[in-house]
Amino acid sequence: MAVRPLLEVRGVDKSFGAVQVLRDVAMNVFPGEVTALVGDNGAGKSTLVKCISGIYPIDAGQVVFDGRPVTVSSPKDAAALGIEVVYQDLALCDNLDIVSNMFLGREKRSGIALDEATMEQMAHRTLASLSVRSVSLRQPAASLSGGERQTIAIAKAVLWNSRVVILDEPTAALGVAQTAQVLELVRRLADNGLGVVLISHNMNDVFAVSDRITALYLGRTAAQVRTSEVTHSQVVELITVGYTGSIGLLPDPGSYEGMGGRS
Amino acid sequence: MRAAPTQDEVRRQNLGALLRWVHLHGATSRAELTSLLGLNRSTIGALTADLAAARLVAEDTPKGLRRAGRPSLVVRPQSASVYAYAVSIEVDRLRAARVGLGGVVLDRRELPRPRGVQILETVAPLAGFVREMHRRVPAGAIYVGGGVSVAGMVRREDGLVRLSPHIGWVDEPIGIALAAELGGDQPMTVGNHADVAALAEHARGAAAGCDNVLYLYGDVGIGGGIIAGGRRVTGHGGYGGEVGHMVVNPHGKPCGCGSRGCWETEIGEAALLTAAGRAGATGRDAILAVVDAAERGDTTARNALRQVGDWLGFGVANLVNIFNPEAVLFGGTLRDVYLAAAAHVRSRLNEMALPATREHVRLRTPALGDDATLIGAAELAFERLLADPLDAAGSPVPPPR
Repeated sequence: MAVRPLLEVRGVDKSFGAVQVLRDVAMNVFPGEVTALVGDNGAGKSTLVKCISGIYPIDAGQVVFDGRPVTVSSPKDAAALGIEVVYQDLALCDNLDIVSNMFLGREKRSGIALDEATMEQMAHRTLASLSVRSVSLRQPAASLSGGERQTIAIAKAVLWNSRVVILDEPTAALGVAQTAQVLELVRRLADNGLGVVLISHNMNDVFAVSDRITALYLGRTAAQVRTSEVTHSQVVELITVGYTGSIGLLPDPGSYEGMGGRS
Repeated sequence: MRAAPTQDEVRRQNLGALLRWVHLHGATSRAELTSLLGLNRSTIGALTADLAAARLVAEDTPKGLRRAGRPSLVVRPQSASVYAYAVSIEVDRLRAARVGLGGVVLDRRELPRPRGVQILETVAPLAGFVREMHRRVPAGAIYVGGGVSVAGMVRREDGLVRLSPHIGWVDEPIGIALAAELGGDQPMTVGNHADVAALAEHARGAAAGCDNVLYLYGDVGIGGGIIAGGRRVTGHGGYGGEVGHMVVNPHGKPCGCGSRGCWETEIGEAALLTAAGRAGATGRDAILAVVDAAERGDTTARNALRQVGDWLGFGVANLVNIFNPEAVLFGGTLRDVYLAAAAHVRSRLNEMALPATREHVRLRTPALGDDATLIGAAELAFERLLADPLDAAGSPVPPPR
């Protein structure tokens, strides 16, 4: 089964002034799979996502999309490739309804007027493909619950025939029932053929829906593993010390492990 | 020696295949059916005409397509007027639905069921639901039969519920009792929750397209629906798949079935609630309260979920080694337990199951949710129609209005 990754990050470096935030980072995202991106606070998850989505330029390394090296120098470039990011703050406009939110900034027009009918149809089709039935299209965003807001933000990302969707902590701050629904939605995105990146601190969320796990440790890729090959405690070790057994960034045998790590 | 199939048999087979396709996949153009079923265009035309004459399917011109050439007619199931009744007898509630061809729930009724209610007491309200729904059925609609989903062991031969420890039944002919109460001519087909839910998820849910599926249904007890090589595995008498009574801990707690250390004594509702210090509480809300407490940092609740998740993974690992399924679905309250304890379920599975049997297994929650038992129960009834569409369409007599 040699499925080609949809998105490959190879040897990416990124510094802010003197601080090197990413060093030789690698990550593969496959179509039809959820890749969990895990790491401690400050490990570089958000920076990596911003490099992939064109917000930060990379200093070195390569982003390969669908087998072609690409330069993503703005979020527009990322969107043109089919890479969408759903950030934690969800950025929905409370005074606009669901359809307007989903098309915000990318409205369909017929002549000089907005093509409401087409937009409504597309929004409806997208929500139906994700089995979302609990909301009405003309409902203002202000009336949505946290879980529904997350759902609409995800649906908005899927609307554009996107191929890779990156979700930053989609279940943070949700109640139990809504967390379950959002996790099922994340899984459905991948089962529909998208490449999904799930950033999460919650190991149950990671193990519940992911096929692969990429662990970052202090700005480096500690390991890329299949979820069917590791245990909870191994992943926790990758996150906290960068290696587990023979997997990961093995400590230099000459030095005391942990001594120079967080300088 | 068996002779070659007669023309009638071939036609019946083809009618069934076409009807089954649109029943499972919805509206499909004649052109697509031609290639999907491997029949020629005129055969598809003739079969569609027969099914349309029997009012089982309808044909429309497709909407919104702007392509050159004459558009191929779209064949769709007559979901609004071809229907079955589905009844689901659960630990905490009684449900009934009218389900249209294509698996569409057209109407539904629900009643909470206090624990300990006996069979005679469930037949009357369930029959009442069916009669109520029946009064609203449009004239000329076609009734194809009824199905019952029960949390208990069901004898295949006649639908007798043999043992349902948590409902408190022993040897109850629920299918016959319901039909008698309704005054219909045919007993309703009875199936076990997990089997029936597996059937529904396999037909049109999270396991569509998978030939090897394990559906684990949890409430007070744990049931298993097994599909192997595309077929339901129910055993000699229909009692197979009782994974909840797989002994996992010989020194464990006594089980309602009389044995000790059954899987459900480690992962059932009572196991989680007792471990969370909430012995005596019951039902899904109590389970969700534990998940919620764990989420908020309650260490007792967290440890309870960890422990139950670990045992859940233990049993799944054994089953994955035996059946090598493509998908394992967690239904009923196991959905919530799985999502909240997935790290422990997966870790135990990864430690215990053979690499070859576990590497491609997908752990999933059901796509149909709680409707799976209703849709699956209706599926039991549709099965007769799909086996011989033109015969079954005429035969069962609906309950009197």
